[in-house]
Parts: sequence; structure tokens; C-alpha cells
Amino acid sequence: MRELKDVLQDWEAVIGLEVHTELTTLETKMFCGCKLSHDDAPNTHVCPVCLGLPGALPVPNQRAIESIVKAGLATNCQIQKRSMFYRKHYFYPDMAKNFQTTQGPVAFCMYGGLDLEVSGPGAAERPTCAFGEGEAASLASASANAEGLSRQMAESLPEYGDTPVTSEYYRESGPAAPVRHEDGSYTAPIRILRIHMEEDAAKMVHVGGQEGRIGGAAESLIDYNRCGTPLIELVTEPDLRTPEEARLFMEKLRRIFLTIGISDCSMEKGSMRCDGNVSIRRRGESSLGTKTELKNLNSFKALHDALAYEICRQAEVLEQGGVIYQETRHWEPSRKRTVVMRVKETADDYRLFPDPDLAPFDLSDEFIEHCRAELPELPDAKRERFEAEFGIKRADAEQMAGDPDTAAFFEAAAAGTSGKAAQAVANLVVNELAAYLKGAGVALGESGIAPAQVASLAKLLTSDAISSNQAHEVFEAMAKSGEDPEAIVDARGMRQVSDAGALQPIVDEVLAACADQAQQYRDGNQKVIGFLVGQCMKASRGKGNPKLFNELLRASLEG
Amino acid sequence: MSVNIDTLTAAQIAAGVRAGEFTAADVARAALDAIAQREPEVQALLQVTPDLALEAAEHIDAMRAAGADLPPLAGVPFVIKDNMNLAGTRTTCASRMLENYESPYTATCVQRMLDAGCVPVAKANMDEFAFGSSTESSAFHPTNNPWDLARVPGGSSGGSAAAVAAGMAPLALGSDTGGSIRQPAALCGVVGMKPTYGMVSRYGVVAFGSSLDQVGPFGRTVEDVALALDVLTAGGRDPFDGTSQDAATSFAASLEADMAGKRIGVIPAFMEADGLAPEVKSAVEQAARVLEAQGAELVEVDLPHLDAAIAAYYVIGPAEAFSNLARFDGVRYGYQEPACSNLAEQSSRSRAHGFGTEAKRRQMLGAYLLSSGVYERYYRAAQKARTLITEDYRCAFERVDAILMPASPTVAFRHGELSDPTQMYLSDMFTISLNIAGNCGISVPMGAGADSGMPVAAQLVSAAFNDTTLLQVARALERGYAEAASAPGCTVAPGFAGKGGELA
Repeated sequence: MRELKDVLQDWEAVIGLEVHTELTTLETKMFCGCKLSHDDAPNTHVCPVCLGLPGALPVPNQRAIESIVKAGLATNCQIQKRSMFYRKHYFYPDMAKNFQTTQGPVAFCMYGGLDLEVSGPGAAERPTCAFGEGEAASLASASANAEGLSRQMAESLPEYGDTPVTSEYYRESGPAAPVRHEDGSYTAPIRILRIHMEEDAAKMVHVGGQEGRIGGAAESLIDYNRCGTPLIELVTEPDLRTPEEARLFMEKLRRIFLTIGISDCSMEKGSMRCDGNVSIRRRGESSLGTKTELKNLNSFKALHDALAYEICRQAEVLEQGGVIYQETRHWEPSRKRTVVMRVKETADDYRLFPDPDLAPFDLSDEFIEHCRAELPELPDAKRERFEAEFGIKRADAEQMAGDPDTAAFFEAAAAGTSGKAAQAVANLVVNELAAYLKGAGVALGESGIAPAQVASLAKLLTSDAISSNQAHEVFEAMAKSGEDPEAIVDARGMRQVSDAGALQPIVDEVLAACADQAQQYRDGNQKVIGFLVGQCMKASRGKGNPKLFNELLRASLEG
Repeated sequence: MSVNIDTLTAAQIAAGVRAGEFTAADVARAALDAIAQREPEVQALLQVTPDLALEAAEHIDAMRAAGADLPPLAGVPFVIKDNMNLAGTRTTCASRMLENYESPYTATCVQRMLDAGCVPVAKANMDEFAFGSSTESSAFHPTNNPWDLARVPGGSSGGSAAAVAAGMAPLALGSDTGGSIRQPAALCGVVGMKPTYGMVSRYGVVAFGSSLDQVGPFGRTVEDVALALDVLTAGGRDPFDGTSQDAATSFAASLEADMAGKRIGVIPAFMEADGLAPEVKSAVEQAARVLEAQGAELVEVDLPHLDAAIAAYYVIGPAEAFSNLARFDGVRYGYQEPACSNLAEQSSRSRAHGFGTEAKRRQMLGAYLLSSGVYERYYRAAQKARTLITEDYRCAFERVDAILMPASPTVAFRHGELSDPTQMYLSDMFTISLNIAGNCGISVPMGAGADSGMPVAAQLVSAAFNDTTLLQVARALERGYAEAASAPGCTVAPGFAGKGGELA
């Protein structure tokens, strides 16, 4: 198979995502009072409603409606005041009623979008030819061809006299084509078709079958604890063009949902799940290819790698004169490939119709404004503010702004600082803190590390009292002991020596011992200075200021 | 002095228990005795619950002995249609599918009756999953009309109506999706009311057509029905039923009202409808004269879209039924086909053998009507018809307080007489439009027909949430008819009066 980079020179990938997010921060299920749980004993949080017992009726969870409205507002969607729940029928025991309560053509949130900033090496996945006028035509044709399921069905619906309200963000003709900047980065607007509310299914475990599938299983176990968990499904338009864009979109979405507090967004635990739809077509073509749907994308890496594999696979099939079948494919991370799960010969008939047990919604302006008022500062706005207020690097601002706990921690630690001092705090948060938490396997809130400790450590760094190497050691010590970094530095006698008079003898000593390297430097090999600084640091037992050593060495050698 | 339970209304029983004339346990034993004597011929019941009845009655008696305030219907026996959950009993829906199913929880409507002091004596037979108008589609046995055992009691709440008509209990609960309370009430000569949709909680009642189903009471007097409705609506809307609404209560207290100034609608086209039996027609005409004699003004009204009601009903009803009955797959509860090798086989065989013919017919019809391509043509059209019919009623009720019409086009027919399902569907021609529009209706007995000697009745309907007016007009009709015909109120079917049921 050819490499993705080469494939994308000849072929254009058209990608759309369906993202399911469980509203894990709520206390109860979508249509009953059962507690939400992830880890409790099976079938301990069930009642007549979520078990679908005869006579049971659903009652919608208002907090869940608040959550989805917030999700819509945070992704520039138009909140549809009038929508309904529908029943989607299929016979499978993971849905106790043999239908899923979901939404129909009109979802609570429709016609939104996010601007995707793509930079770094990943930006190169999109070849130069995929910009400009050709790209605008491509986006328009993909939109036109993609099934306008919502718009078509939304006409003459019980919910609507007219078609749904669209937003400024959302243009049916397709989004504006991205422009590549000089540094290789670009910004692509990705449209969101809808976010609808539904209930999650029960968890099934098939024992004795192949790869945990029901076929050939000796027995199947069902845990209804998850059945009825409030779930929102976001569907993008087919505006994504590379696996990197898909990954970034998903990351961005996750940061937004974490920030607005509607879910723990764990791809690992499955509280945030993503299916990818992908087809390819020759560059410049206006009709769409046959798409496949990818499942089991339970990490950002899996999402990226599965799409990359699938694009290359489709290209190979087509280049060899083969045919792509509309099918659902399963990503096998261990073997880095997708395999067929099921072929869709005919469209499933879910017999969707309005749920007669649930009255149509008519959301009030007050309700929507109440949701808007509860929205915290969103990651993009926070990033802009961090950049402007603290003068820190955009990439660091972006990373911290995406996680509400980290962002709050940074703000507390960097309070009152800006420029170099704030950047020192940012460096510690982005590097030392993140690495420590990952290594220790704890969340920031449970780590016991206080913003004041990091602020104090940053101060030691900016005043040259310790080196960045030492900072690592101090961070470890303060994280474990909870002590103040100043105290640690003093107790360990780590305070960096930045007195030229005290360091010059060490420099002289090293230069005498390393005459060869000294000569190499004089002969023009500037790189050797690193070795000499290292020797000085060793001789000072790590206490000398490495920057000062560097200066003194250069002065001695050049003088 | 010995009294037979079948001569007492619910109001009289509650008053007697309260006054200490007899104990609730005496009443329960008398009701169980009446059941023992009468049930073998009527076959109205699927389960008799003596233990639950005596336990509830003894609880009432203990409360009274302790000097506690008694709830409003303390000691009144009642029968429950077998699609309503009562923990400790089976809820079979008269289907093999649920033959051994016991609900772990109690329906709100049943619980409210229990909370009001009512004593549960039995679960009543019905058409399987309420699909039918004769109770002949019960998977277990048919029920006989107490007035003529060769005839049906109507349906689908035929067991509830027959139990009240035969004097086994003064009250029964039924459910009405297209006429399933009003039609059997008419055929058995008792009062049966379908309250406004949303007045009575559907929680715990096995759903047939969620947007059509409504629970309501049977009694032998309008007052008893009003008392039961008081109880069913006490406590306001049910938080477990998202479609239930707060509504006016104290129907019984406001029952006696002057008819002067009341405007009663009559629909000439209805009185000339094909299939309307002359004796039923003359009963409705007599009802009009009775109301007029009490000062009401008769006003001709028109419901132009009503001819679409049966068609709309047989789209919406089966569509919702298909969806509601999808859960019966033999996986978690209910009939499970043994020795199947995989899930698909188990589900389809359990459904094939668990459901009876009519239940399968309705579900297959619903599955077809909801399938893509067909949906627009039928389901959407039915919803449009629904809007028009609802609007027709709204316009009519701007001019009148209630409309008078037949309940059933005929008196009770013989077992097996209506073998063509579409012919059976027509027996709901006068009742169905109310479920489509969601407003309230009641069937009031008008004695025995001149031709058949079987009960005939008139139906009164009123606007949504105007149930108080509906009951007032029904009471006026009952009162006026009793005076005009010099007929005693609260009568049971002639063959069963005094058969068992002596209050010791």
C-alpha cells in the first residue's frame, strides 16, 4: 500500500464524523431516576423504565436538555426550540424496549461548526493542491452530494411549518475554503450538521464467541446499568479532508465538552465515542465515492490511524480496478488495519416515528439564555486571553486552555505575572506538571500540588536561582512532599551559583583538563561548547549557572 | 336485615363502612362470594385475589378501630383490567405472551384506588393486549354478557364491564383506546367513562396506543364513576407519566347541576348512519328528550371530518401498538420459546407463538405503516386527519356543552357473530373519534332495547378537560331517565341479582 502522503496527492479523502458523548456529569439517566454509573456491579441501577417493563413510561431529564443546549451553543449551533423525540426500532436486547428513543429530523442543535487550526507536521497531510478555488469547488460538491437527510426530511414536519432556522456559520453551499499560511498552517471551518439527544444502549458481553461477537457465542450477558444513559450524537458535514483534521476536530470537541462540563469525555472508557465515514475520489472530481464507516476508534491515535489506513486501502482497491462496498469496518489497533464488520446491502428501516409518550418540546428563550449564561469561557476564547494577558506562547496557551482544571491551575499560579515570568509558569505546567501527572497516574485535583508551589518554582527559575535541570528535581520533590520549592532548594543546597568570581576558577580548571576540546572550539567547532559546559556543571556538582558557564567559557576561549 | 352487595353503590358501601353498618372485611367476603357464585357463568375474570382483598379490607377495619380517618372509598371492592399492574398479581393482558408475568410495581391508577381504600378483588378478562371489541380475542377464554350468556360483553374491557354488570363489584377500571370502556359499558348496561387524555396516569398500564389510551372507571351509577374519577385524579398529575396533566377534581361533589341553559349537540348524520340499530337509535332519541325535558337546549352540530376517524385510528393505533409491543421478545420476561439455537430464532418464535392472531395482525399492520416510503402516505395523512377531527370538536364545543350520540351502533352481538375483523372495527364507529381528539366521553345506560331486550345506551362527549360538565350532563340524563322510565338505578343484570353476595 502507498503512503498516505502520496495517496492524498492523487486522491481526495472526504471524511465526516459521528461523535457520541455520554453526559457522565449528570446524576441520573435520560428518562428515569436511576443513577448513572460506570463501574458498579451489573444491573444494580435499573428500574421499570430503563428495563422497558410493561407499562413503564419515560420522563425526560431536564438537566440533559440543558447539557445538549450548552453543547450546541458552544459549537455555534442554532438551538431549535421545537423538536421531538422519535422512536428508532431495531430488535436487539441491548435496548430493552427494542427501540431507542432518539431525535428525528429536527435535533435540539443544528447547523453549527468549529474553526480548525491545523499546524505542525500534521498540516502537511493536506497537500498543497487541496487549497484555493479547487478546494472551494470540492467542498461545495461534497455538500451537495452528501445526503441532505436533515433538510429534506425537515420540510413539512410536525415540528415545523417551515424549514429549521439556520445559522450564520452554516452555509449550505459548503464552508469557505481554507488558506495555507507561510508557516504551513491553515484554518479549516468544519460544519456541524446537528447534535441530537438520545439514550445509550445496555452493555453486552458475548462469552465464547469470536472476538467478543455474538456469532458463535455460548452465552451473552447484558448489563442494563448503561441503558438509558443520556447520550448526545454530533454529526459533522463531510468537510474534513485528512486524518489529522479528523483527529484535531475530535480533540477540539473534547476540550469544549470538558470545559462546559457535560461529560468526562473518556475515549478509553467509551464515554466519548467516534465513528468515521470516509470515501475518496480523484482530485477534481465532483461526485462522491462510496463511503465506509469505521468503528472501534477509541483513541485519537486510533481515529487518525484508522482513517489513514482506510484511505490508503480504498486507493489501492480503486487503483487496481476494484470496487469499494458500502460497509462498516472495524479498526484492529494491534494489526493496524480495518476489517469488514457488516455489509449494508439495503438501508435499515428503523421505522422512525414521533414518540407518543414524550410531548414535543418548545424551549423558551429564558431556558436557552439560562443555558448560555451558565457557559464558562470556551477554550478558544481562553487561549486568546492567555496569549494577550500573560504573553505566553500560543501552543502552550492552547494546550492549557483545553483542560479546565489545568487552565484554572495555570491562572492561579501565574496570577500577576506576564511575559517571561508567566512563560516560566506555563513551561512548568505544560512540561513538568503534565509529565508528573501522567507518570503518577493521578488527576490534577487529586495530586495535591498547589499553584503556589509552581509559582514559587517558576520564580526560582526566572531569578536564575536554579537551572531548568534542577527544576525537574525540585518539581519531583515538591510534588511528593508538598513542601515549598524554596525550602527544598535550600535544604538540598541546590541554589545555583551565579557569581562569576566563584565560577571562573572552575572554567579555568576545565579548560586546562580539556585542552583538545578547547582547541577544537578555537578551530571553529562551536558545538563543543556544550561538552565544556557539561564538564563545568559536573565540576560544580550541578550548582553553577550553566548560562554563566557558557559565557565565561566563550570569553576565556575567545579572549 | 340482610343486604346483597349487588344492591349497593360504591358510595353506599363506603358510607356503610364508615358508619360501622358493616365491616370492610364483610364487604370483601360478600364480593368474593358473589364472584364465586356468578363467575362460572360470566367468565369475566382472569384472577381472583382473595388474599389481597381481605388484607386490604382488614387494614381498613383496623384503621377504623384505631379511630383513624378513613379514605374516601374505604372498603369498596373493585376489579382491575388485566393490562394494569398490581404488584403481587400477574398482568397477563389476556395473552400467552404474559401468561406468567408478574409486575414488580403497581400502576399509578391502581395505586390511587388502593390509597383511596378500595379493595382489589380480581383482575378482569379483556381482548388480548386490548385489541378487539368483544373480549373474544382473550387467549384464555371468552367472557359472556351477563344479560345473555350467548352474547359478548363488548371489549376490550369486556371483563371489567361484565363484572360490574353481574354485580361482582360496584367499580372496575378499564382502558379505552378506541372505545374499549364506553362500548362494553353500553353492551353490558353500566356506566363507563373515558376521561380526557392526560387526566389519568397511564404509568403501569401496558400500552397499546400511547397517544390514544386512557384509563377510566366503570360503575353502575354516574355518581360512582365520578367518585372513582375523583380518586384517579387525586394528587394531580403523575410525575411518572410525562403526558399526564393537572386537572379539576371533586367531580362527585359538583355532580348535581341544573340543565337549564345547557346546550346539547346532536348530529343528524349520526342518527342516520348505516348499521345503527333502531332500538339504539330510539334510546339516543329518548336521551335527547330526557335532557330537553330538564331544560337543556338541543343544537344541531356537524363534525365534517369524522368519517376519517376510523381510518386514522387504524393507522395510528397499529403503528403505536407495533412499537409498544416490540419489547415482548422473550428475552427478559414473558413467553420464551424453548430450545432455540440463536437470538433471532428465539425472538421470532417467541413472538409467533406468544401472540394471538389479532395481536399479530395489528403489529404487522403497524410495522408496514411505519416503513419508509409508506410512512408519508399513511401515518402523516392520519396525523393530518387527527388535527382536522380535533379542530372539528373544538369548533363544536364553542357552541355546545356536550354532544349526544350513540356509544355502540348495536346491542351486544352473539359470540362469533362478527368474524370479519373490519366488521368488528366498525363497532367502534361512534367512540373512536374521541380517542383521536383526546376529549372525554361517557356511556350512560338507557334500559333494555325493545327488540332484543339487551341493554341500550347513549354516549355523551364533551371538550377536553371539561369532564365536570360531562359528568353533570350524564347525571342529569341518568336522573331524568330513571324518573321517566320509573326504573330503579343501580341494577345488575336480571339473571344475577341476589346470586351470592349476601352481606352477613
